[in-house]
Formats: sequence, structure tokens, C-alpha cells
Amino acid sequence: MSVALRLTVNGREHEVQIDERMRLVDLLRDVLRLTGTHLGCGTGNCGGCTVLLSGRTVKSCCILAIDANRERVTTIEAMSTPGGQLHPIQEAFVSNQGLQCGFCTPGMVLSAAQLLESNPHPTTDEIRTAIAGNLCRCTGYQLIVESIRQAASALARRETPDHDGPTL
Amino acid sequence: MISQPFDFHAPRHVDEALLLLDEAGERARVLAGGMTLIPLMNLGLVQPEVVVSLNHIDELDYIVERNGELRIGAQTRHATVQSDAAIARAAGHLAAAAAHIGDVQVRNRGTLGGSLAHADPAANYLPVLLASDATVVLQSKSNQRVVAIRDFVVDLLRTSLTSGELVVEVRIPSLRAGAGAAYAQMARVEGSFPMVTASAVASRETRKARVAIGGVTARPVLVECGLEPAGDASHIAQAEVREPLVDMHGDAAYRRSLAGVFAERVLTAAVNRAGDVRTSR
Repeated sequence: MSVALRLTVNGREHEVQIDERMRLVDLLRDVLRLTGTHLGCGTGNCGGCTVLLSGRTVKSCCILAIDANRERVTTIEAMSTPGGQLHPIQEAFVSNQGLQCGFCTPGMVLSAAQLLESNPHPTTDEIRTAIAGNLCRCTGYQLIVESIRQAASALARRETPDHDGPTL
Repeated sequence: MISQPFDFHAPRHVDEALLLLDEAGERARVLAGGMTLIPLMNLGLVQPEVVVSLNHIDELDYIVERNGELRIGAQTRHATVQSDAAIARAAGHLAAAAAHIGDVQVRNRGTLGGSLAHADPAANYLPVLLASDATVVLQSKSNQRVVAIRDFVVDLLRTSLTSGELVVEVRIPSLRAGAGAAYAQMARVEGSFPMVTASAVASRETRKARVAIGGVTARPVLVECGLEPAGDASHIAQAEVREPLVDMHGDAAYRRSLAGVFAERVLTAAVNRAGDVRTSR
């Protein structure tokens, strides 16, 4: 059965007819072609499909697309500029080798973004709690934590933001 | 994509949801946060014909304190329970339980009412609500009833909810002056289902305590005891664990032992906090 859905993704409004069985992750990847959101387990464990729904991180495999009607979604694609300039959190992941295969990285970056927005100077424990819902199978947690710590410092150093990140 | 089709409804008001549930009866599943339902639908383990989402009903998302009790709307998300100032002040053990649910993403979406209606034995809220002698408000198209949490959970994953009924509110007595409360749990990995959950409310005024243990039996176990010695709570809790849940993570003796250890632990913590309600956790 086809249902009508209206939502805003990365600042852009969409009106689409979708199958009611579609999950938010399916909509993002297969309809809107935003493939930075990854589908891993489909059971809410791995966090590869993490996106922001009205400013809060959620697992998009566990939300029906139609249930995001009239909501605001932010995906990893909104973190960098259209010109391809990476967000300071992404830069920190690159410079600290906070990724290996990269499958978990979009989710990790968005979880980090939500953490740093509400808590600009997190402790190591707070960083670990913030990414508890994002599994990395390359076991790179140590470098991921280090990346987030450095991103926090980099963001704190910037007196005036020269990069317009997404409105979370 | 979920394999089986279903009719989807997203009512904006409780009345509308109740009409839909009344009409669909057993064919319907309520979608609260969806942190259990959607994974089960993804796996094809649950295949409802009708899905009624509560995610667009703003009137079920509130926290008010009235007549010495907190009234919390069923659609309040775990992240809100974890961080709300009124809950921290009046029922810190509830906030502590919320902080241990799943992970950040799950707490951002999962709801208090959804967790209760699912009644997983390892659900963090159950021992807290039992220790506090909380009640849940169940609403149907034609009726509203207030049920004590000890009567609400009837068995493993089974509640006293009947067809067409919805959990709309949770009422938990605010901690009084001279009372303290605590929550503790043990899970193998952060975010996994706890093997034991425990909560205690202790009053220096009445010299009595209520200790509740979840995760080791189908329904949470309640121990009513004095404030000391805390070892009494441990002995009673172990005796009350008649049929422990047994799985690969622990046999009957281990689960019973966990119940005792955690009963003593939360009672001691609650007694230590009694007398300074403002900082009780």
C-alpha cells in the first residue's frame, strides 16, 4: 500500500509516496539516495544507521519512514559542506585514524556531534557512553575516542566558526 | 523493508488512538517508541495487521508533580526521564534506571509506556516502580482504570492490559523527606539486557523499606523489610526467587545469588541517602 510522506531531510523538503513497510533507513538510501546512512543489523544494535530525527540521534532501521512524517532528519551528508569540506569532527577522525573500514563511521560521527553539542568538554567515560550504541567491528574504539576528544578541542579552539555545520 | 504489509495509523490524540485500537482489537499493535516492535517486525517475528503509532500524540508526553506524586505521560522518552529535573528531585532512582536503558539512540526514542507494556523481565523501570508502589493508568475507549504495578505485570512479557487498552500514564509517589532510594543493575556489556535489576526505597521515618528485584524471575520480586541489617533483605530476596530465569548467562543458583547481593546493595544505598531527599538517587 502506498502512503504519502512529507519530511525535511538535510534542510530540503521532500514529498514522496512510499510503501508503508519502508523504514527510515530504506527511504534515505533507496529513495533519496543518501547512502552515507548504513544498514547493518536491522535490529537496533549496531548503530550504523544512526541519523538525527528532530535533533536527536536515533537508529533509522527501527523507525518506520511514515512515522517520520512532518519531522526533520539530518544525515551524515549534511556534516560536510556541498563543496566537500569536512566537518571538524570528520577531520579529527581522519587525522587520528578513527576508522578502518568506515562502515560505522557515519553513525559514530553523528553520535559524536550530538554529544559535543550538549557537552563540549566530555570526559573519556562520557565519550564512551555516547558511542555505546555504535559498534565498530574493526575494534577501533580507542582511536575513535581519541578522535572525538580531539574534535572537542578543535571545536573549542575555534573562536568564530568558519564552517557552518548542520543545525542539529 | 519489512516483509508483511500492515495498515498504519498515526493519530494526533489519545481518543483517536483508542477508537482505532477498539476497532482493530487483537489485530493491532501499538507502536510507542518501537525499540522492540520494529526490530521484531524486521525479523518477521511479529506481523501485525494494524500498527497504531503514538509518536504524534503530544498530549501523552508530560511530567507533572501533583499531590505528592509524579505523573508521567506514557510517551515520555527514556532520555527525558533520565534528565528531567522534577524526576531527579522526586524519584532519582527512576532517572537512574532510565540512564541504563540500551544506548543513547534507544533512549532518545524508546518510551516509558512502551517499556511497561512490553513487560520484559529485564526492563529497568519495573523494580523502581515496584519499590515505589507506583501505579499505571490504563485507558480504553469506554473505561479508565488505575492498576498497581504489582498487578500490572502478570507473567513473562504479560500484563493485565486487555484488547483496546493503552498505558497512558505512570504515577510514582514522590520521595518524602527522610526517604532515600537507589537503583542498581548488572549487565554483561553496557546496553545489553541486565541479568539483574534492583531498586529500594527506604524511609527513616517509618523505619521500613521496599526492595524490588527484576531480571531474575518472570515478574519482579518485592521484599518488605526493615532498614537494617541489610543482610535480611538479601535472605528474603533469595527465598522469594522461587523460579529463577535460567539461560546461558546464569543458572538458578547464580541468579538467586545475584538477587541477594543486589537487594542488600540497593537497600544499603537507599538507607545512606535517606534524610537528604534532594540528592537521593
